[in-house]
Amino acid sequence: MKKALVATFALAALVAIALVSGRAAAAPAATQDTSLTGTGSSFVFPLVSKWIPAVGQAYGINLTYSLTGSGAGIAGVTARTVDFGASDAPLSADQLTACKSCVVIPWALSATSIPYNVPGLGGRLRIDGATLSNIYLGKITNWNDAAIKKLNPKLSLPNLKITPVFRSDSSGTTYNFTEYLSSVSSEFRSKVGNNTAVNFPTGVGARGSAGVAGVVSKTEGALTYVDVAYSLTNHFTFAAIKNRAGAYALPGLRGIKQAVSQLPKKVTSLSQLKIVDPPKSAGKQAYPISTFTYVIVPTNSKSAGDVRKLVYWAVTQGQQFGPPLLFQPLPVTVQAFAYREIKKIQGV
Amino acid sequence: MSTIDDSAAPGAGLAGTGLERRGLRLGDTLFRGVALAASAGSAFLLGWIAFKVLDLAWPSIEEFGLSFIWTDAWDPVTEQFGALAFVYGTALTSAIALVLAVPISIGIALFLTELAPRRVAAPIATMVELLAAIPSVVLGLWGILVFGPWVAQHLEPLLQNYLGFLPIFSGSPSQAGILPAALVLTIMIVPIASAICRELFLRVPRDLTDGALALGSTRWESIRGVTLAYAAPGIAAAVLLGLGRAFGEAIAVTQVIGGGNSINVSWFATGDTLASRIASQYQGATSQLQAGSILYLAAILMAISLVTNVVAQVIVRRFEKARRAA
Repeated sequence: MKKALVATFALAALVAIALVSGRAAAAPAATQDTSLTGTGSSFVFPLVSKWIPAVGQAYGINLTYSLTGSGAGIAGVTARTVDFGASDAPLSADQLTACKSCVVIPWALSATSIPYNVPGLGGRLRIDGATLSNIYLGKITNWNDAAIKKLNPKLSLPNLKITPVFRSDSSGTTYNFTEYLSSVSSEFRSKVGNNTAVNFPTGVGARGSAGVAGVVSKTEGALTYVDVAYSLTNHFTFAAIKNRAGAYALPGLRGIKQAVSQLPKKVTSLSQLKIVDPPKSAGKQAYPISTFTYVIVPTNSKSAGDVRKLVYWAVTQGQQFGPPLLFQPLPVTVQAFAYREIKKIQGV
Repeated sequence: MSTIDDSAAPGAGLAGTGLERRGLRLGDTLFRGVALAASAGSAFLLGWIAFKVLDLAWPSIEEFGLSFIWTDAWDPVTEQFGALAFVYGTALTSAIALVLAVPISIGIALFLTELAPRRVAAPIATMVELLAAIPSVVLGLWGILVFGPWVAQHLEPLLQNYLGFLPIFSGSPSQAGILPAALVLTIMIVPIASAICRELFLRVPRDLTDGALALGSTRWESIRGVTLAYAAPGIAAAVLLGLGRAFGEAIAVTQVIGGGNSINVSWFATGDTLASRIASQYQGATSQLQAGSILYLAAILMAISLVTNVVAQVIVRRFEKARRAA
């Protein structure tokens, strides 16, 4: 009995000591620098992970970012559990109201690539929006379909079933991809629509970029969509997409740059930042599935001063970290729009 | 002097025992307090979690009502949500997994306890149990990269060849779908179920099996008549434990089931389970209604798990009663 008692006390004491010392260890780290936490988009994470050490050096800001998905980023900042949220989809009117005086600022620019696994093709696949949406609607099911042949007269297209692969989790990439398909195909817009998760009528779902990539690499005849940085680092072959100028464009920096070349001289609202399927005047290299990604910040919080510093740094100096990761630096007009929005972050 | 001494000695003794007694009482109270707090805490936690899940699911419960459970829809764009496809997926994958896992587990356990020489049995038992130590996310990755393609290229064509007349084996083979998910679940259930069964078989009294053998029954007859009969309630409990695992497994299933939104007759087609859908879409839910609907799925999953647990206890108790009567 006594022994058990002693043991219990010893255990309790140990737990208490562990708790106290844990707190003590954590405390100085928190007070040393200003710390900011953010959550959301995994699309932008490669870039943010480069920013973390740089912004720590520049301002002593201890930045923590967890990649939880765009929806979680919006939810997190709405509930004020984080200092900022990151989302690849701009906030809907309802979400903006729910967030209560939040500003949405574009802070990175990249593209979605279309990797595929078709053996013995003998060249790069060319595809257009109509064909792509018909594949995801289940109307084109074989690689030797006339519609694909017409776009690729030089390729030896096999008699092979097309397996469209999609993200089963919510993702900004899905938002960007369905945004494109919805704008090129009215049938896709009415039957499936545009969101971070949609109800694809056909295909196989997989979780995360790694999941879809895994399925595509193991399934002959598969095709999918992932952010271009992921495609490049994993050495996937991806398709050239036909743009409004009638040329086939690749998701490189030049392709993304041309895609934003026709933005208005003065950007005044987020709706002008929709850059999928850019007009013919954008140029022959304009890649049709490009997207801005956004940071969402409450205008009146205790950390507003630091967040303002961080976002300002991100849209200016932070952009130089982009090109190696296939993030095209923001165009000046968008930067100007971002400054005006950043000014609204006033603090309490 | 002597009187003082006399009175002092028992007095000191009394004081000593008094302290001792007080110490004991303090220990008892403390122990009782800690135990009470722990059990009350866990009961409170269960209630609180259940309440919170329902609370957060409220937007969806208000919108769709009970018909959510038998509606087959999941469209975040038009905000139409229903649970039927996921309830179906959960029930089907778990059922397939159990039907496969139970005989395998009992087979392994019987082999290890009755047939295998001890030198062989011990390492095999350890290895089977180590199978349970593979994190489910790793098993899921293996599912994507190795097992799924194997199922699509070899197992499913084989099934289609011989049993293709059954609608469940129709359609084109796919590396992500109901069947690969059910098989991954089977792999996850077997180590747990077989470990429990082995423990059960080891506890069957030796004299009972010896008696059966002495009466002239064969090995199989003694296993069937004595070992399995004696362990039956335990086996039932093990099965239900496995079922619980199958219901709740999210990550490994998400990785191999293909995230389909509708009900398909074919086992080769994609589908989804309650747990998998919660894991894959909660974090990215774009609207209150979608987040609420996912929590509604969570509430359904909790209810199903609760019912399974209660049923398990009822079965075990009935078996116990029957055995005592016999």
